[in-house]
Amino acid sequence: MKRPASGRSSSVSIAAAVIIGLLASINIIGQVDPNPNSPVPVLLSQEGSTRALAEYSDEGKGSKNSPFAETAFPLNAKVDLYVTNIELMEGEGANAFRVYLEDTQKRQYRVPVLDLQPSEHQKGVYRVTILLRDELGFWEQPAADGDVLVRLTWRGLSSNRVRLGLGKTGGDIKDDPGSQPTPLSRAASFMTGTEPPTSEYVGYRWSGDRMRFLQQATFGANRSLDDRIRRIGLRTYLAEQFEAPYPSLSNLYPNIPLKHIDSNNSTLGCGMFTDGTAERRICFRDHYTQYPLQNWFFKEALYGEPQLRHRVAWALGQIWVVSGVDTQQSSWMIAYHKILSQHAFGNYRDLMRDMTLNPAMGNYLDMVRSTKNNPNENYPREILQLFSVGLFMLNQDGTLMLDGNNQPIPTYDQSTVDNFTKVMTGWTFCNVGCPNSAPSIVNYKDPMILNQNNHDITAKTLLAYPNAVNQNIPAGLNGNTELELALDNIFYHPNVGPFVSKLLIQHMVTSDPTPAYVGRVAAVFNNNGFGVRGDLKAVVKAILLDPEARGDVKTDPNFGKLREPVQLVTNVLKAFDAKSANLTQQSDGVINGLTNPLGQNVFYSPTVFNYFPPDYTIPGTALIGPEFGIMTTGTAIGRLNFANTMVYNRINGGTENVPQGTSLDLTEIEAIAAADPTGNLLLDELNKRLLHYTMSPQMRATILPAVTAVASSNPRARAQAAIYLVATSSQFQVQR
Amino acid sequence: MKESRREFLKKSTCALSMTALATQMHHMGMMSALAQKMDEKEQPAQGGDSYKAIVLLYMSGGNDGNNMVIPVHNDASVSNYAAYAATRQTQGLAIPQASLLPISVPRIGGLTYGLHPALGPVTGGINNGIHELWAQQKLAMVTNVGTLVAPMTKAQYQNNSVPKPYQLFSHSDQVAQSQTSVSSTQAFTGWGGRIADRMNQPNNPNGLIPMITSIAGAQLFTAGQTTLPMAIADANTSLANVLNPAGFNTTAASVARRNAMNQLRTIDLDNNYLAAASHVTDLAMEANNALQTFQEVTVPFPNTGIGRQLRQIARLIKKRTDLNVNRQVFYCQIGGFDTHNNQLNNHTTLLSQFSQAARAFYDEMVVQGVSNDVTLFTLSDFNRTMNPAGSGATVGSDHAWGNHMFVLGGSVAGGDFFGMNTTNGTPFPTLVIGTAGPDDTNSGSGARGRWIPTTSVEQYCATIARWFGLPENELGSVFPNIGTFPQNNLGFMI
Repeated sequence: MKRPASGRSSSVSIAAAVIIGLLASINIIGQVDPNPNSPVPVLLSQEGSTRALAEYSDEGKGSKNSPFAETAFPLNAKVDLYVTNIELMEGEGANAFRVYLEDTQKRQYRVPVLDLQPSEHQKGVYRVTILLRDELGFWEQPAADGDVLVRLTWRGLSSNRVRLGLGKTGGDIKDDPGSQPTPLSRAASFMTGTEPPTSEYVGYRWSGDRMRFLQQATFGANRSLDDRIRRIGLRTYLAEQFEAPYPSLSNLYPNIPLKHIDSNNSTLGCGMFTDGTAERRICFRDHYTQYPLQNWFFKEALYGEPQLRHRVAWALGQIWVVSGVDTQQSSWMIAYHKILSQHAFGNYRDLMRDMTLNPAMGNYLDMVRSTKNNPNENYPREILQLFSVGLFMLNQDGTLMLDGNNQPIPTYDQSTVDNFTKVMTGWTFCNVGCPNSAPSIVNYKDPMILNQNNHDITAKTLLAYPNAVNQNIPAGLNGNTELELALDNIFYHPNVGPFVSKLLIQHMVTSDPTPAYVGRVAAVFNNNGFGVRGDLKAVVKAILLDPEARGDVKTDPNFGKLREPVQLVTNVLKAFDAKSANLTQQSDGVINGLTNPLGQNVFYSPTVFNYFPPDYTIPGTALIGPEFGIMTTGTAIGRLNFANTMVYNRINGGTENVPQGTSLDLTEIEAIAAADPTGNLLLDELNKRLLHYTMSPQMRATILPAVTAVASSNPRARAQAAIYLVATSSQFQVQR
Repeated sequence: MKESRREFLKKSTCALSMTALATQMHHMGMMSALAQKMDEKEQPAQGGDSYKAIVLLYMSGGNDGNNMVIPVHNDASVSNYAAYAATRQTQGLAIPQASLLPISVPRIGGLTYGLHPALGPVTGGINNGIHELWAQQKLAMVTNVGTLVAPMTKAQYQNNSVPKPYQLFSHSDQVAQSQTSVSSTQAFTGWGGRIADRMNQPNNPNGLIPMITSIAGAQLFTAGQTTLPMAIADANTSLANVLNPAGFNTTAASVARRNAMNQLRTIDLDNNYLAAASHVTDLAMEANNALQTFQEVTVPFPNTGIGRQLRQIARLIKKRTDLNVNRQVFYCQIGGFDTHNNQLNNHTTLLSQFSQAARAFYDEMVVQGVSNDVTLFTLSDFNRTMNPAGSGATVGSDHAWGNHMFVLGGSVAGGDFFGMNTTNGTPFPTLVIGTAGPDDTNSGSGARGRWIPTTSVEQYCATIARWFGLPENELGSVFPNIGTFPQNNLGFMI
């Protein structure tokens, strides 16, 4: 990097100081963002060929006199490969790397990475020890009958691919087009490294990463968000978002009163309105369905300032699932959502308590009906399995801990569930004496309260783990005390950090994060740097600023995630400035009809297991892809039809349930289409807005003829064709 | 090998356009694996000329089998009505003896058992339900079926000397085990998918749609190692529209856009998520071409979720010849069986919806002349505790284990119970809880009446798969633990 000219530097510093000063006045400190791009790893090859520089890792095998003499290795061999152009953080090691083999039949295998050490051969070169054995278990072991191509990935970036002889050399495998030898002798020339940080204040200039960050942290990028981050950078944006009031002042939570369980009740239901009238329908719609909450949710997603809290609450709500399928009134669900959003940047332990005592959850998973004589194990089982520790013991990096027979170790058994069930007996609605208590309604707003008479006071044995907190609860305690003890027993289990961290990474960044990424975030969950466990603000920050998340482009073939329907819809709507149907005001947010056919009926998850399971494996692959759980032939076409609806049509307003409607505003994009008859400017704009500058030349060449097939005199139709094609492309459907 | 792979690809993709071919080629590994499998076989499995279909009707949430079939008889040598009522009456979960729909069970000396009253004629119903098909010998029941790693006694359960299915009583895990048939470890693929992996190519070489169709979204049951299902909406959407991309016409600009959309799915496939998304869309677009015309079914179906799903399946079966399919696997689902509370009303509603829809489906198969070729069968997460949860108006029940399944069709050896005998010498469990109950998991105070299954999900499903045409030598690859059980054919299919 050249040093900036001193005069400019100082003026920029002054400008920066002014901005920092302004921000400090609202308790936010401007923070410098480093270059987000990690260097691209280079796997070394032999001189003059693309064959891997490789040798046996085990002592005694291979010739020490002529290193790298072997060119083929049997299955199960421990082999050293050599990689350069990586810059490791403190503590970053083997579990940050993945090594894939591909055979002539294009089957992909992943082999364990056992070790990573600086090489004795040359500074900046690292030795990667792999075990030549597939660890995914999807295919049988690769055949040892010739060359395979080897790829190493790190932080979402793929190395070049080199050949490795499996059993023997030769065979039909073809090098990647344009691949070149990458010999040790030239290792120094491959080391590009990252740019050193500069003191120059130039804003956050990594335009690809800005858009990627917004895909992960918000409900979609648009120009104003992009401009803001370009000016203030990611860290300052995060600091702002952590402080932003929620929900937006212009979109407060719907204020819906509790109603009678019987919607026909003449005073506290909707029975005061004549059957068949609009008043009756609207009363029912607003109180006895999630309609008002759904619309509020989408308006906040489209227009709200506190995007990050909204996004994290949405993710948490897909872990701590309560569904409108069993939750009768919107007021009940709103009380539940307030807990999600309140603790999204709070402490996980507080979330655990408030969720456990939330009446909608109590109803959904039956804890409100669980008494010592009629215990119900539904909630106790799910809080363990789905919300905190999961079924099997985890290492801090989220990988399964294995016993001596290489089997996973159950975190708990049925007797643990039985014991937690006893702990959680005796809770009920606070129908008298709480702020929202009222005659003839069930109080679904205030936390549940204990009826000690219905509480099982026998002794309990809870989760066992090293240095377990409160594993044994003595007989005779008050249920309130026991609940806190039991929640601490769960909260301090070592699984919680990796379990929760991985789920949140999957919801925000990538479906199959490396163990190293999970481990870094879990470390922050375990200790935010100030000795606090469970600080979600620190966790969210760690997820979004991790080098595996950051960078302008990701080339690891297994990096990314399918956009869930909610993100697909809001991302497109925000990218094209969605407004009301007549473009005069904001959308009314009545757009659940767009996501529902794609498998996401917002606040109506079909089961407690969410719309899709976190460990869903895509058929025909060994690839974890949770969102593919709802990607079927039917919803795949639904995704095309969503684009058709919004690009070529709109959701019309003026009806009882859809007052304003929703439409994209294509004014700007139409002007861009009109300005360039070749269509290239139009594609440049879509490349930026939807693909963070990753549109391949082939993709452009494929779309352009369909754009120019529309008369240039109709720039709107040209813009529509281009938007439809990009928005429906798999290149966009997958967030990378 | 190279030669045969090309040949295979040609065969297997002849129904697919070039766009679909590209993502298929990306999944080349899977294609080659199948090609290799085919090469190794001298005689590929032949489906013959006839058509066969199996329909899995999944009761999601854990159907309370204990209230679906109940002893009516008063014979005290096996659990009778009094034994049933002893556990369920006080808290209000018992179905009255007089209301039960009688079925005779030759396997248990001709004793009379009873089906839940919702399985016969019901108020507002459109047919007589499935009960009367018992006497017509088209309906059978396989009793005390559940997830198992190996046969297990109560003593073995309690002293842990035989491995248990992982995470008993947990919904997601027991659903997964029912649908994968594997209880020893987590499995990636369902047994329906594994059947399709092996049977699609030999039986549907020119099929225009995938072998498996789900009317209830993507399910583990339908996931193969190499095959994907077709997942479509229920009969509220016509077959012509279930997979039809909207907004295209015959103008040059529209055709160009459609071509570009198809072409886009063939490029940038280096990212595996991207390739997977393109592959699913390809399947959908190809199936859409084949579904543009269809004929409506004849028999009236109820307008319920399960009714509409079965009606859509019946439409596809009616179109089987056009679609070039000789073997089909269908998945449909009825949810809401997790009746921890308010069970009496809710369970009645669910069972009547099931019965009305299943009867309509059977009658339609008769009209179509394929009732001997189509078999409908049920699975659920698990049975529910014999001991009720709560009492009074909101009484319910909790998660349990061994459960009872219906099998329905012209090739079913109907009118009887099937499955391995329990400790009482009949296939029906002893309805006694705790220490005195030989089939209950627990003794003492923790006992809730969770029957240890005597027939494994694998034995039950393998019997159906065998009838469907899965070759004997493939049974072990689809049902990996089948060898640990004494029988792989329970005899309920003719």
